Amino acid sequence: MKKKLLSALLAFTMVLSMTACGAKESSTSDQASEDKVTIKVFSNLPDRTNGQGFVEQTLFDQYMDENPDVVIQVEALDDEAYKTKFKAYASGSNMPDLVNVWGQPSFLNEIIDANLLTELNAADYADYGFINGSLDGFSNDGKLYGLARNTDVMGFYYNKAIFEKNGWEVPQTYDELIALAGKIKDAGLIPCSMDGSDKWPLSIYVHDLMQKIDPDIKTQVQDSIANGDFLNPVYAQAAGLFVDAADAGLFQSGFETTDYGTAKNLFTNSQAAMFYMGSWEMSMATDENVPEDVRNNIGVFMMPTVAGGAGNVTDIAAWNGGGYAVTANSKVKEEAIKLLNFMFKPENWSKLCWENGICMSAQNYSEYLTGEETSAQLDFTDIVSGSTSVTGVTFNDLGTSEFKTLSEDLSQELAIKSVSVEEFIGKLEEAGK
Amino acid sequence: MNSDIRKTGKSGKIVLFICLLVIAGIQLFPLIWLVDFSLANPNELFTSGILVWPEKIQWGNYVKAFVDGNFLLYFKNSILINTLAVVFVLLISVMASFACIRMEWKLSGVVKTLLLMGMMIPIHATLLPNFVIYDKLGLTDTIWALLIPYIAFSLPQGVFLTSSFMSAIPKELEEAALLDGCGIYRIVFTMIMPLMKASLVTVAIMTYLNNWNEFMMASTYLSTKTWKTLPFAILEFTGQYSSNYAVQFAVMALTAAPALLIYIILNKYITKGVAAGAVKG
Amino acid sequence: MKKLYSNKYIILSLIAPGLLTFVFAILVPICLSVYYGFTDFSGIGAANFIGLENYTTLFKDSGFWMSLRNSLFLAVGFILIQHPIAIVVAAILDKLQGKAEGFFRCVYFIPNVISVAIIAYLWKFIYNPNFGLFNKILQSLGFKGDVNWLGSGNAIWSVLLVLIWHGFGWGMLIYYTGIKNIDPVLYEAAAIDGATSAQTFMKITLPLMKTVIQMNVTMAIIAALKQMETVYLLTNGGPGNETQFLANFLYKEAFKSYKYGYGNSISVIFVIICLAATVILNKIFAEKDERRKRA
Repeated sequence: MKKKLLSALLAFTMVLSMTACGAKESSTSDQASEDKVTIKVFSNLPDRTNGQGFVEQTLFDQYMDENPDVVIQVEALDDEAYKTKFKAYASGSNMPDLVNVWGQPSFLNEIIDANLLTELNAADYADYGFINGSLDGFSNDGKLYGLARNTDVMGFYYNKAIFEKNGWEVPQTYDELIALAGKIKDAGLIPCSMDGSDKWPLSIYVHDLMQKIDPDIKTQVQDSIANGDFLNPVYAQAAGLFVDAADAGLFQSGFETTDYGTAKNLFTNSQAAMFYMGSWEMSMATDENVPEDVRNNIGVFMMPTVAGGAGNVTDIAAWNGGGYAVTANSKVKEEAIKLLNFMFKPENWSKLCWENGICMSAQNYSEYLTGEETSAQLDFTDIVSGSTSVTGVTFNDLGTSEFKTLSEDLSQELAIKSVSVEEFIGKLEEAGK
Repeated sequence: MNSDIRKTGKSGKIVLFICLLVIAGIQLFPLIWLVDFSLANPNELFTSGILVWPEKIQWGNYVKAFVDGNFLLYFKNSILINTLAVVFVLLISVMASFACIRMEWKLSGVVKTLLLMGMMIPIHATLLPNFVIYDKLGLTDTIWALLIPYIAFSLPQGVFLTSSFMSAIPKELEEAALLDGCGIYRIVFTMIMPLMKASLVTVAIMTYLNNWNEFMMASTYLSTKTWKTLPFAILEFTGQYSSNYAVQFAVMALTAAPALLIYIILNKYITKGVAAGAVKG
Repeated sequence: MKKLYSNKYIILSLIAPGLLTFVFAILVPICLSVYYGFTDFSGIGAANFIGLENYTTLFKDSGFWMSLRNSLFLAVGFILIQHPIAIVVAAILDKLQGKAEGFFRCVYFIPNVISVAIIAYLWKFIYNPNFGLFNKILQSLGFKGDVNWLGSGNAIWSVLLVLIWHGFGWGMLIYYTGIKNIDPVLYEAAAIDGATSAQTFMKITLPLMKTVIQMNVTMAIIAALKQMETVYLLTNGGPGNETQFLANFLYKEAFKSYKYGYGNSISVIFVIICLAATVILNKIFAEKDERRKRA
């Protein structure tokens, strides 16, 4: 029995020493933080070695080099997990200092209303080269709460090599796109890879079509949501065209359950000829993980025109979505703003993103053109400079967060025909009310 | 018993044996598939074969998984948190069981029922309010944010098992010890606990199995790496390496390995423990 | 001596750690849930008292009924598919003896020790309609192999399959232990009477396993109600709400739609349903036992 007692005692002391160790560790880190400023960053860019995450991390590292007294702690999750955790943070009292936000009413309104964000001094950014209107989504009542990261454009990436080999042309009309889908399927490939499990790409697709039918629709969408009135036939027509595409097999089988990464991988592994996604994915062309024969053959085209629609191919789905804000209860507010300002000095974010072929910043980056741009970069530049109208924030993001969940769920249900076009419109009206 | 198997014809035996093998195959094949592709080139997943013979075995996938997945840190955290939870559950449930079964007080029955009721309460129902509480108390992102719920939700089972085993111990033993002048605490920790060794192993195993894989709480209550547990290696990796499936497979295989190894080594004890716990519970 | 057993301080010190943990980690949160369940709290900002509105909305919410229906579906699936196979396999294993018995018992349990996170991601790949294992197998068997495993109509079956696969070893082990506890003399008597294995199984094994089966059924129903992790990672309730379960539903409502108060009202109903299910099942089984005893 003595032996047993001994082992029990041993276990007990082990526990005690463990907790003691834990306590010690935390006290040393407290000491360290006395003379060092720790800025906690919450980011939606989990991949720190590619794309925007790489640029973000590069800038953080550079900032820490230049300011040895600053420590930047990054917590990064991908979009959906990020938004969930963000809401958990928002309900608590320990928000990180610098956070990622979306300049869309569905995300930002509730947060600004609850006074969770610090007001920024708009005059500070006069010479940062932000494109006109790009900060509108981050402002409320004339006060600025965040900075936009990018200009986002939604379009079809396509594999030029596959198109050339099979003699396919970039479709000029929506009917051609649907016809092309049939041809690609016959060739044993997936026509267009789609991230349907996140649902928002589906909603954007619908809005993209609305823009092609009536380029002025954006003036009405917000009112339609507020009043629960979707009688304008444009909505039903766009929804119908979307269903046509799903019926024609434009998207891969099971697209409604395919997540972002998988959708992208279908395209980058030559399983799909096209990929409907935003301009931030232009970095596929410079990503070492993407096979070379795909990487060097990425082209872009916009949603083609719709028969009888008033819009042109230059009426595009574009907005300023992602960005950064500093939280109101941050204990290192000044330091966090300094870091934010550092990041968005034109020679930092804007330049790095463009030079690495990652995305188009929300700032004027024309002076950083290198002459060695990837074809995806060139295509997007042409598209943006030639655009005649843009959608702005799409309909799913124009209401409350509840409306967002509902309308995006509906877009998915529409795609798999568990609701009809009429039901889709009816339920949108209900959700708006 | 043997007479029965003798009666089944030889062909019947073979059929039965094949059936068992098929089920074993079904249970194992997904894991074999996982390991296979974790050693391949990411593009090889898109070829048509069910299994691939990797052109060149990509051990590098595991190196990436090990280093970038923070494997060691998360593994250490998992071990520490789960071990602490087990130790606490054992101590607390033995104490509580003793109080409810042996000690004489009016509310013993009520308190025991209350504690056991925890078994029926879904752990996820407390996710939202607990976040608010831990946040107010500054416990988020500390080890306590995981330890407290892990202990609390394993405790009912612990109390149930220890109390049912304890009632089987004859009271005379303790009474003799009491006459010798032992205190209650000494009886609980030096007499009862060693006597219940086998059932404590059961409680420990059940607690481990319950908590080792938990990640909803962990991902809601934790934010920095400091206390993150093994499931995070996977959750984080799918974002980090979204375009490289082979490395994702490698991190899954790597994360599964410790539990699997421990299981294969301690297989006898674990099956016995689970069986004893489950049949009692 | 009696005094020592009823010493209030000793009792208190023994019971306090357990009781405090229970109160702090389970009881208080549930009370808080009850409170928030009566408000329109969004998670941030102020909470307004709105009475029973959350609950009336909840009972009209198709997502809620879908979650319940899915739990029922899972429970029935476990009971009608997983458990019969598990019992039969356990009975066969019992007859095997020797190394093979230990080997199979070990192998069947392996999926159980693997983290749900791994299981869910792994099966997502297995189900992938474009390059997943299942469709590749179908293709190699000469089928077209373009089944949309997680698509509308199939998703709930696919979820069921994963859970059956994952939990099979556990159920099997419990039945196996139950069978091992049956007195071998009974089998010998049956053998002398010339009963076939099938008869022995139906007449001796099954009836004697009644309590084990009852317990397993109860556990299956509770497990079906509490389902969260696998579904969260595998389908997140989709497509639509087709594979929605209560836990995942409350998570989605609270954190995605900012309806924290509503989410808490779901928590409350969730707890009530789980408690009620246990009580009802105990009642049913207890009554049956009594009736049989009387007869």
